[in-house]
Amino acid sequence: MLSYIDKIKEISIRLLKECRVEMVIGFRKGTVPMMNEPHFAKSPEDVENFVWDSNCGINLCNYLTNRGEKIGILAKGCDSRNIVTHIIENKIKRDQLVIIGVPCKGMIDKRKISAMFEGEIGEVIENENNITVKGDGFEKTLNKKDVLQQNCAICIHRNPVIHDELVGDLVEEQIDVDRYEDVREIEALAPQEKATHFEKLLEPCIRCYACRNACPLCYCPTCFTDESRPQWVGKGQDPTDVSTFHFLRAYHCAGRCTDCGACERSCPVGINMRVFTKKLEKDCLELFEWEAGLDPDVRPPLDTYRPGDPDEFIK
Amino acid sequence: MGIEPDRLQFSWVSSAEATKFVQVVTEVTRAIKDLGPNKNLVKTMPKVA
Amino acid sequence: MSEWEPKIVAFLCNWCSYGAADLAGVGRMEYPSNIRVIRIPCTGRMDPKFFLAALREGADGVWVSG
Repeated sequence: MLSYIDKIKEISIRLLKECRVEMVIGFRKGTVPMMNEPHFAKSPEDVENFVWDSNCGINLCNYLTNRGEKIGILAKGCDSRNIVTHIIENKIKRDQLVIIGVPCKGMIDKRKISAMFEGEIGEVIENENNITVKGDGFEKTLNKKDVLQQNCAICIHRNPVIHDELVGDLVEEQIDVDRYEDVREIEALAPQEKATHFEKLLEPCIRCYACRNACPLCYCPTCFTDESRPQWVGKGQDPTDVSTFHFLRAYHCAGRCTDCGACERSCPVGINMRVFTKKLEKDCLELFEWEAGLDPDVRPPLDTYRPGDPDEFIK
Repeated sequence: MGIEPDRLQFSWVSSAEATKFVQVVTEVTRAIKDLGPNKNLVKTMPKVA
Repeated sequence: MSEWEPKIVAFLCNWCSYGAADLAGVGRMEYPSNIRVIRIPCTGRMDPKFFLAALREGADGVWVSG
């Protein structure tokens, strides 16, 4: 994965020099370890700052919504699926984009790694399979596979589904993964147990809306949480309001979520709200055999009617 | 999400089917009566002293 | 207090079930009085937030009918 960077720079410089795009969206090194930030290269000189490693988990598709110019964008498997969703939803036109596909082997989970060490982590050095974490008085080498983000560990679309350029050979897709283990566990609970489970899960939520802001699907001009007349959901930390927010946000992502993990990654208190979107993803797969963002020419199940609809009452 | 599936019911009644309407209302009411009062996701007002 | 009676919010499509409800009324038919009808222009107007809002406000059940 680390070897992609030369190719990324080469392609970006070429695209910018040929004026095929006005900017290329990628990553640059962040100010703290394991936190790469988005970088918008508008000239060939800017390209120098691009990096690519296992800390590029942010979903770059978020920056495409309603853009007018021509854009080159780096796209991992999940990003590319979100780009497809954006194209389906008319948030960007396909011919505005030069998609630079990046086959991905998973991003590492910063929170998991930080939890392993007492002190602050000063430096993280990465090679193809391992990462070495250095800090005040400790140094440890970890296998990347053990510290992947959970959504990456169960990812089945690592290669970009849509791309114009490719920075490396396609990687092998994982086939024997159980994507919905945790969802099934929750499904087995009785309604009251579910309520308690979710209340506990969401208890630390501080309603900062980082999950909404990091999500490439959450582009509504006015979010339902910000509407005040009528006010659908209170703004405080009342458990009912918190769960209303998370349930509704998940429903807005039904049939669209690609489980890119941006929400969970951005959460300052580490809530795994992906269980909600994953449940809906599972339903879409089981009811409509639908996986979001695979093909820009197929309409999503929630805006089409098929005579074979699984629900009886509608026939 | 902690809500019994039967609390949300969907149906399809044409505007000419008054009998079916009555029938569905009766069914829905009975189903929800059987579930008892809803306790989850109800917004309670903060107690004011 | 007598037996508990549920409160049910009914979202009825203007063109279908609302018409049926009207007809039921005209026809003097009897049905349980637990439902509180909200007329929506079309079942397509239905939104998950209506369902949650109803429960928040104390409904015991929600019925959507097209």
